[in-house]
Amino acid sequence: MISEPEGAYLPQPAELLEVIDETPTIKTLVVQPREPLTFKAGQFVQLTLPGFGEAPFTPSSSPLSPERIAITILQTGTVTDRFHECKPGQTLGLRGPFGKGYPIDKLRGKEVLVVGGGVGLAPLRALILALLAELDPIKRLSIKYGSRCVEELLYRREHDTWPQAGKVDFTCTIDHPQQGWRGKTGVVTTLLKGVDIDRDNSHVFVCGPGVMLKFTTFTLIDEGFRPDQIYLSMNRRMSCGMGLCGRCNIGPYYLCKDGPDINYALIEDYPDVF
Amino acid sequence: MTTYYVDDAGIAKLLGEQCGTSTFAPVRTARLAWLDTVETETDLANLGEPRPAQSPKGLFLPAAESVGRYGQSATAATAARTDMAVIVGIRACGLRALKYLDQVMLEGAFQDAEYRARREGMLLISCDCVDCTDSCFCTLVGGRPYASEGYDINLTPLEHGCVAEAATERGQKLLESAGIQCTQAGKDQLAERDRIRAAMVERLERQNERFNFVADDRSQPGLSNEGDAAWQEFAADCVECGACTNICPTCHCFYLYDQVLGAEAFERVRTWDSCLLSTYHRMAGGVNLKLSARPRLYSRLANRVLHKFTYSPQQYGLLGCVGCGRCVDACLGAIDIREVVQKLQCPAKANPADGREASP
Repeated sequence: MISEPEGAYLPQPAELLEVIDETPTIKTLVVQPREPLTFKAGQFVQLTLPGFGEAPFTPSSSPLSPERIAITILQTGTVTDRFHECKPGQTLGLRGPFGKGYPIDKLRGKEVLVVGGGVGLAPLRALILALLAELDPIKRLSIKYGSRCVEELLYRREHDTWPQAGKVDFTCTIDHPQQGWRGKTGVVTTLLKGVDIDRDNSHVFVCGPGVMLKFTTFTLIDEGFRPDQIYLSMNRRMSCGMGLCGRCNIGPYYLCKDGPDINYALIEDYPDVF
Repeated sequence: MTTYYVDDAGIAKLLGEQCGTSTFAPVRTARLAWLDTVETETDLANLGEPRPAQSPKGLFLPAAESVGRYGQSATAATAARTDMAVIVGIRACGLRALKYLDQVMLEGAFQDAEYRARREGMLLISCDCVDCTDSCFCTLVGGRPYASEGYDINLTPLEHGCVAEAATERGQKLLESAGIQCTQAGKDQLAERDRIRAAMVERLERQNERFNFVADDRSQPGLSNEGDAAWQEFAADCVECGACTNICPTCHCFYLYDQVLGAEAFERVRTWDSCLLSTYHRMAGGVNLKLSARPRLYSRLANRVLHKFTYSPQQYGLLGCVGCGRCVDACLGAIDIREVVQKLQCPAKANPADGREASP
């Protein structure tokens, strides 16, 4: 319960500390909220461009470093164009955190499969970093990542560092063969065929564009995973963050408070999931 | 609390005391009664009209309002009005809608401060329906044309006066302090009230007898999802005007947008929004060419009706439709929500008992 609801719709100021060019279309904005804003991996914030409006993003940085919140943004439309033009030193706004966050407590003793597509690796990075910070409780962490092309591979500098922790593996693929690329090719679902994950003792976290979420889910079901093992990152169209404004519903669930990562078993029967 | 009988002169005085710019009551036009501010007590002679043409929602959730200012040089906005106001003649369906909005705006993890201030600052003098429109169907959705909760004072117009029932302390105080003759309602007067109420229920049931679905807060008919072709048939008549959502007493979707007030001074504004519009999922930066989450009109129509009859009971334990029939009157495409529910009934999905789902 928020005891002081006044201002629940207003952003608090946040300094833009750094802008990282990740790929030709993706940048990461590192912001420092003036008041501490602690979040759990998978919770989202509303990032405000003052006077222009706000848009929802799940931080890609570790929840253990809340003083430097990284927000990774794909240039995809009017708002994201404007965020890409931002320069360090600018004051932005933050509101949140909202949503439930990843159910990390449920992962004790489990195998964790993380499947990312394109910029969808951003929220999953917060999960990966949170799990890497305390690997003991989980059995293993397997990361599958797919991107359109080599240039668009996100956080490429970190890919090799994640498996160094042991019991972590990372595989990535790009959609089509490219000169100089010796890795796997094909969409990310090709990495899931016969995937070496214990069907009876695992959870899967998926984030990516709509079409990727859809086909990854169907592939996982074909591979013998149950709907209740699958969490989908339905990061879209959240506005108020409090289950009031109505726009982010899937059936009776509001993604802003019941998600944005939501168990597929809860939503599979509703027609507007994908 | 006591149930009183107040004669016409007393009612005129009681309601006259409330007259002023902060009193809202049905005001007659050529064809309809509108909820408006009333200046004189003669305006209050319209309690016998059917429910007002527009819902009381806007008095608690204005169509557009500032939710605050931000930025280095932003000055504080004028605070929301919190002085006492009165609604006279709100109906049982309106009170039921407020109960629903209370659940949404006040009972979740966050409370909406502006809504709460307006809610607490509004005295509610409700009135039994003694007439109804052709579109009224409260009895189909578990309602009654008279209130049993949610009011400060409820009035039942009899021939020469009203049975007046206070349900709150402030309502009781108002009756006592108005300097009017309040006698305890007699057996005959209560019997007359029962007769009027039963007759009104019978009339509503008769005018809705062609509909055979049963819905209330605890049980719902269950509707087919958007895969059913009947949604497309109804959507063919929808012109996406959003009138149904604007006039609906429970629809509460809103859109937040920012505007520039000056250098380093910004304001965030909340306006009503409509899930029927293709622009519904727009975000900062306005409408762009990306597909919304529900690009097809029929799936937006289905989502609205399913929210009322299926999702709301799961979310709040309350039906999202109070049967006021205003959307039926307002629809430019002549879509009648009663017919939609009738046609889309799906026995396999019915929820015969309290089917509130566990939270995710």
